Amino acid sequence: MTDVIATSLADVKDAVESAIAAGHRLEVRGTGSKSNLGRECNADAALDVSKMAGIVDYQPEELVMTLRAGTPMDEVEAALADARQMLAFEPPRMGRISSGPRSELQGTIGGIVAANLSGPRRLTAGATRDYLLGFEAISGRGELFKSGGRVMKNVTGYDLSKLMCGSFGTLAVMDEITLKTLPAPETSQSLLVACADFAAATKTIAQIFATPHEPGAAAILPQSIAAEEAVDTGGAFTVIIRLEGIEASVADRIANLQAMTGGETIAKPASETLWQRIRDVQPLAEKPHDLWKVSCAPSDAPRLVESLDSAMGVRFMADWAGGLLWFGASRSRDLGNRLRAVVAELDSGFAMLVRDVAVTRDEIAPFQPLPAPLFELHKRVKASFDPRGVLNYGRMHSGI
Amino acid sequence: MLMPEPDQQVIDRRDDICHALRKLVPAACVVDSTESMRAFDADGLSAYRQLPLAVVLPETVDQIAAVMKWCHQNEIKLVPRGAGTSLSGGALPLADAVLLGLGKFNRIHEIDYGNRCVVAQPGVTNLAITHAVQADGFYYAPDPSSQIACSVGGNVAENSGGVHCLKYGLTTNNLLGVEIVTMEGEILRFGGKHLDAGDYDLMGIMTGSEGLLGVVSEVTLRILQKPATARALLVGFDDTDSAGTAVGDVIAAGIIPAGMEMMDGLAINAAEDFANAGYPREAAALLIIELDGPEVEVDALIERVEAILRTAGASSVRVSQSEEERNLFWAGRKSAFPAVGRISPDYLCMDGTIPRRRLPDMMRRMASLSQQYGLRVANVFHAGDGNLHPLILFDANIPGELERAEDFGADILKSCVEMGGVLTGEHGVGVEKRDLMTIQFTEDDLKQQQRLKCAFDPGHLLNPGKVFPHLHRCAELGRLHVHKGKMPHPDLPRF
Repeated sequence: MTDVIATSLADVKDAVESAIAAGHRLEVRGTGSKSNLGRECNADAALDVSKMAGIVDYQPEELVMTLRAGTPMDEVEAALADARQMLAFEPPRMGRISSGPRSELQGTIGGIVAANLSGPRRLTAGATRDYLLGFEAISGRGELFKSGGRVMKNVTGYDLSKLMCGSFGTLAVMDEITLKTLPAPETSQSLLVACADFAAATKTIAQIFATPHEPGAAAILPQSIAAEEAVDTGGAFTVIIRLEGIEASVADRIANLQAMTGGETIAKPASETLWQRIRDVQPLAEKPHDLWKVSCAPSDAPRLVESLDSAMGVRFMADWAGGLLWFGASRSRDLGNRLRAVVAELDSGFAMLVRDVAVTRDEIAPFQPLPAPLFELHKRVKASFDPRGVLNYGRMHSGI
Repeated sequence: MLMPEPDQQVIDRRDDICHALRKLVPAACVVDSTESMRAFDADGLSAYRQLPLAVVLPETVDQIAAVMKWCHQNEIKLVPRGAGTSLSGGALPLADAVLLGLGKFNRIHEIDYGNRCVVAQPGVTNLAITHAVQADGFYYAPDPSSQIACSVGGNVAENSGGVHCLKYGLTTNNLLGVEIVTMEGEILRFGGKHLDAGDYDLMGIMTGSEGLLGVVSEVTLRILQKPATARALLVGFDDTDSAGTAVGDVIAAGIIPAGMEMMDGLAINAAEDFANAGYPREAAALLIIELDGPEVEVDALIERVEAILRTAGASSVRVSQSEEERNLFWAGRKSAFPAVGRISPDYLCMDGTIPRRRLPDMMRRMASLSQQYGLRVANVFHAGDGNLHPLILFDANIPGELERAEDFGADILKSCVEMGGVLTGEHGVGVEKRDLMTIQFTEDDLKQQQRLKCAFDPGHLLNPGKVFPHLHRCAELGRLHVHKGKMPHPDLPRF
C-alpha cells in the first residue's frame, strides 16, 4: 500500500477501508512535529492529513471555533489574536523540543488534540481535553461518526471528545473539530520568589494558591536555569508566578503577593518570553539530552526530585505548581527507570520519554506501562473504534 | 416511554436473588419489601415510577464489587443510584434489575489543600464538599440547583453543571480522579491528584456516562480559592432580542462573567410573586449577570458591563451594593422552578443548548409552539452558554395534557438540534430524551457510542434502557463489514 495524502474524510474512509481489506496498518500524521512522541508505528503506509486544513467557522462572541484538524498553529493563533482571544490551555510548540529541521515545525491543531498537549495555564484553566467541544472523524472501522457539538454545554451521549484528546490517533482520524475559545487577558506580569530548596518552592506555591489573588501559572526553576533565563533570585530555586487580567487587577494582585512573599516582579515582554520558553521546554531542550516528562500530584514533586542521583547529570524544571516535571539527561536509561519506579510507588501520575537522543524508544517504552487490568480495558476501548489495529497501531503501547 | 421488556424468569427468581445478595452484604443492606422499596421507585423525573427487583445498599467498595460481580455472573441487570435527583430518569428502576444505592458512602476521605483537592465517597452531597472547605477559604465550583441533595458520584455520572459553568466549567472540568467498579466487579482508578491522564482519558469518558459504564466508588475533586468578592447586575429589557444581543456584547468585550442568567416575562413575574426580589415586572426579559474575583477587578468590570448593557438598550439596571442585595437578585432566579410550580399544577423542565446567537429565533419558535399546543411556557436560561430551561406548564389531571406537554418539549429539543445545538446541556439523556437521540445522532454515531459501552459492559447489564433508543448486541456491533476484497489470513486473530 502506498502513502495517502487525504484532503477529505472521504479520502480517509477510502484509505482506512483499503487498509482493512489489505490487512495493512496506517501511520496517521500531520506535519510530523510530534513524531518523536510515542513508539514507532512500523506501519505499511502513511496517511497524511495535513491538507485537511483551514478554519471553517469562528464566532468570537460565541467563544467557539470550528476548524479542520490539519490547520497549522500559526493560522489558528493569528485568527485568535485578531479577535483578542486565545486557546486557554496554551498549546506548546512541540517541534521546538526537537533538534534539526523538525524544530521549525509549528504543528497542527489536530496534533495538539491527539497528544492532549497543554501549556503553563493548564494548572488553572484546564487542558486541551477541557476545550474540545466536538468533532467528526473516521474510525478505524472506516465509519464516519461525530460526537459532542458546537455548543459549550452539552451532555448528550458519551463525551468521546475526551477520549480523542491524548489518543495519539489510535482510535479515529478527525477532520472538523470545535474548540472553546476565551478572551485573551489584557495584560500579564510575573512574580519571582527565591526559595532555599525544592520542597520550600512547592510550599510557597501552595501558600500563594491559598490566597484570593488568582495566580494563573506557577513554575519552579533551579538556580542554574534561572540564571540562564535572566531570572536568578539568588535562591537555590526560583518560583515564578504569572498573573493575568485587566491592568488594575494585575497591579493590585501582584502588589499583594509581593508584600506577602517579598518577591520581585518582571513586566509583560520579559514575562511572556519566559513563559513561552517554559511552555516549549526550551531551557532543557537546547541541550542535546533525552527528555522526560512526569505528571504527578504537586505535593509528590519533591519526592521525585529528591530521588535523583547527582551521578545521573540531570537538568530539570517544574511547571503546574510541581505537577509537571521536565527532566533532561545525556543518557537517561537510569533516570527513566528511577522516575518510573517512583511514580509506580506513588500510584499516581506517569513518566513519559518525550525525546530520545541517547536512549532509543525501542529500549525503553515512551509511555508508562499500564497495570494489567487497565491495559486490558485500553485494548477493548481501542478495539471498539479500531478492531483491526489499522490506525497508529502501537504508537502508545505495544498491542494498542 | 417504553422500557426494555422485563425478564419474567428473573422476576420469578427474586427470593433466591435476595437470598444470594444477603450473603454478599449485611442482611439489612438488602431491601425487598414493597413498602420500603417505594422510596426508590423514581428519581427527579417523577412522572416515571417503577419498583425495582430489590434494593441493595452496600457499605464498602468491596461489597459493591461483590454485588456487581455476582450480578454479572448471574446475568442480573443493575441500576446505580446516588441521591436520586436526576431530572432525566437516569436512576429509574427496572422491574427485573437490582437497584444499587450508594447513599451510605457519605464520608469525605481527605481534604488536601497542598494539591487543592478533596477525596470523597460518591454519596457525599455536592454542597457538603464546599461546606467542608469553606472555613479555609475554598469551595467546589460546580453548583447544580439540587446541590443540597445531589451526590458527587451522581454529579460524575451526569456531568452536572450549574449557573457558574460559563467561567468554571462542568463536573468534567473539576474532576481529577475517579475510582470505579466495573460490571465484572473489578475496581479501577482513572486519574488521581495529578493533572493529565497520560493514556486514554477514561475518567473523561466515565463523566457523563449516566451510569452505563461503571459505578463511581470514589471521586477526587478540584477545589478553588473562593473569589475575594462577587457582585451582580439585575438588568431589564423591553424585548428578548436586545437581551440576547447584550449577552453576546458582554462576551465580545472580553468579559467572562461568573454567571449570566436570563428569564422571560412569565418567569420574571412568577419568581417575583414568590420571592419579592424586586424584579422589574414590566420587563420582557431579565438578565442577572454576576462578576467575581479581586475587588478592584470586579468594580472595574461592573462599570464596563453596565455601559455595554445601557448601549444595548437596557430599560433598567441595578448593581448590587451588598451581599444581601446580590443574594436577593439570585433569590428570584433560584426559586424560579417552585415559583412556576405555584402558577401551574404541573410543569416539565426541558434542557437543550443552542448557539447563543440563535436565542431570538428560539424565543419566537417557542412562542409559536406554545400557541400550537395551547400550553404556556416560562423560560429561564443559562444565557452565557446557551443552555435553555423552558418550563412547560400543564395539568396532569386533564387527560392527554401530559402527552401534549411531552410533544411540545420534544419539538423544542428538535428545534435546538436544528439550530445547531444539542438535546441536553446538563440534565442528561436518561429515559427522558432517549428516543430523541436519533435526531441529533446518526445510526453510526450511536453505534460507535454503544461499542464503547461494550468495552466496559459487554452484557448490557448496567443501567439498560437509558440513553440509547435501540440496544444492539455487542457481537452484532463488533462485526466489521470488509468492503474492498477479502482479509488475508481471515483465521488469524489480529488482536
